Amino acid sequence: MVLKTKERQQLAGQEKKADDIVFPFDSDEHRPLDTKKDDAPVIMEISNIDKAYSGDKKVLNDIAFDIRQGEVLSIIGPSGAGKSTLLRVINRMIEPSRGSITFQGEDTLSMKGRKLRSMRTDIGMIFQHYNLVDRSSVFENVLHGLLGYKNSLQGIFSLYTEAEKQRAVEIITELGISEQLYKRCDELSGGQKQRVGIARALIQDPKIILCDEPIASLDPNASRTIMEYLRRISRERGITIVVNLHQLDAAKQYSDRIIGLNGGRIVYNGNPDDIDPDTISRIYGSKLDELIVE
Amino acid sequence: MEHAIEKDGKGRIKISRLNGGQQKFRLLMIGTAIFTVIGFFLLDYSGLQLWPAITGTLGNLKMMFLEPQLNQVGFGSAMYQVLVTLSLAFLSTILGAVISIFLAFGAAVNLSRPWISRSIKGFITVIRAVPTVLWVLIFAIAAGLGAVAAVIGMLFHSVAYLVKAYSEAFEEIDEGKIEALRATGSSYAHILFQVVVPQTKSFLIAWTFLRFEINFGVAVAMGAAAGAGGIGYELFMSSSFYYDMNEVGMITYMILIVAVILELAANKLKNAA
Repeated sequence: MVLKTKERQQLAGQEKKADDIVFPFDSDEHRPLDTKKDDAPVIMEISNIDKAYSGDKKVLNDIAFDIRQGEVLSIIGPSGAGKSTLLRVINRMIEPSRGSITFQGEDTLSMKGRKLRSMRTDIGMIFQHYNLVDRSSVFENVLHGLLGYKNSLQGIFSLYTEAEKQRAVEIITELGISEQLYKRCDELSGGQKQRVGIARALIQDPKIILCDEPIASLDPNASRTIMEYLRRISRERGITIVVNLHQLDAAKQYSDRIIGLNGGRIVYNGNPDDIDPDTISRIYGSKLDELIVE
Repeated sequence: MEHAIEKDGKGRIKISRLNGGQQKFRLLMIGTAIFTVIGFFLLDYSGLQLWPAITGTLGNLKMMFLEPQLNQVGFGSAMYQVLVTLSLAFLSTILGAVISIFLAFGAAVNLSRPWISRSIKGFITVIRAVPTVLWVLIFAIAAGLGAVAAVIGMLFHSVAYLVKAYSEAFEEIDEGKIEALRATGSSYAHILFQVVVPQTKSFLIAWTFLRFEINFGVAVAMGAAAGAGGIGYELFMSSSFYYDMNEVGMITYMILIVAVILELAANKLKNAA
């Protein structure tokens, strides 16, 4: 009996290990040495983007910046600053009213149909509320990332090749959720769901992953895991991470570059270390006092 | 503070204020109550002998439900007729469900263009407004009274009903899930069959089965009214032709048992999905 309890504890310990510490990081080295991204090639140029939903109130106003290969780029700003809209303009989930976007040397705003879909396969996306199909398994949800490469019949009848399934399993294992492979997604915890979301983006083999408030619904531990994993993706695979964040400290800790947005305009674009109280008040307006916890 | 308070006719403080809709509803309720009372006084009771009427009805009910037995039809043939009725219901439901699911994709506002959605919804509202029996009789002009007209008529009404139910289930889907798949480069068909259908599967099954139960009931009535055959025709014959109360009771029990089995099966299926 005693032994059994002990065994069980051990097992539980192992499970916990497999579940929590999937990404063995030294938490002190929060920014690796190869942080110099200034010379990395530009993969997306965004210029003069305006977006107005109705009338002349602009959600985005003359947005222009470059996205470099392999960097972690955070977009911060108060609620309603246009962060989500900006993110969705990048993969054209939202059409900008004016401006141009060049991705891998091609103008994305003129793309249509098949071409647009193929552009989107190069840009993964993860969400605050994970946006998984709850009633499908983890496996199926990850494979949804491949639908952009499929024709209609293959997609409707879930015809994936063995090699594709194999790759999905590899990615799922790497993210530490292989135990949950056949579970329905509504049985997972928030952190696990977000990992499924990341796996779905990764299997697309994207150049850029857009993250819309990826940690806003997670507890601090799960948030750290997710942010560290996102950074690891950018380091190891050279995938660019563009992330909307509410949490200034997370943005400072994990990103190579920060863009500050206020009222639809870029008010800061630079190194996270150069952000001073003055910059923060420019980005967040009068909310300065509430923000500085340190 | 005082100026915010409203008082009623007797100077007491009101604790709520009715808006326009609530006032109209109150008027409607009062009107209905008055007409109900007046209606009772306007009925013609002259030919009615209350006591014999009550005992007679009770006698009939007793004959039906406490002494059920089959006289004109054998048990085997009655069972066969139940099967015929079930088949009519099944056929019209399954055909209706297949047609409806595609129409519902067009009718759901989040999956379609506004004008397509509006025209499909308008069309099915008109179809739904006309009772099933009427559709059966309309199709009887072309197909003649019988099973074919009954199935087509029931199918028509099933489609109208299911498109509304399905499209409302589709409209409940979290927009984010659709967005997530659009962002992977998925096509419209992928989104329909990888997000929309799996996510609403249990609703679809529940609504389809509910319609199946309704169609079973309608098919019984169609047997009598439109000569579609099945147990409804036997029921019509034994009640209106032979005045055989015992048989009416037995047939009613048979229909009831089938309905209960359907209900249980529906619950099992819904939980499994």
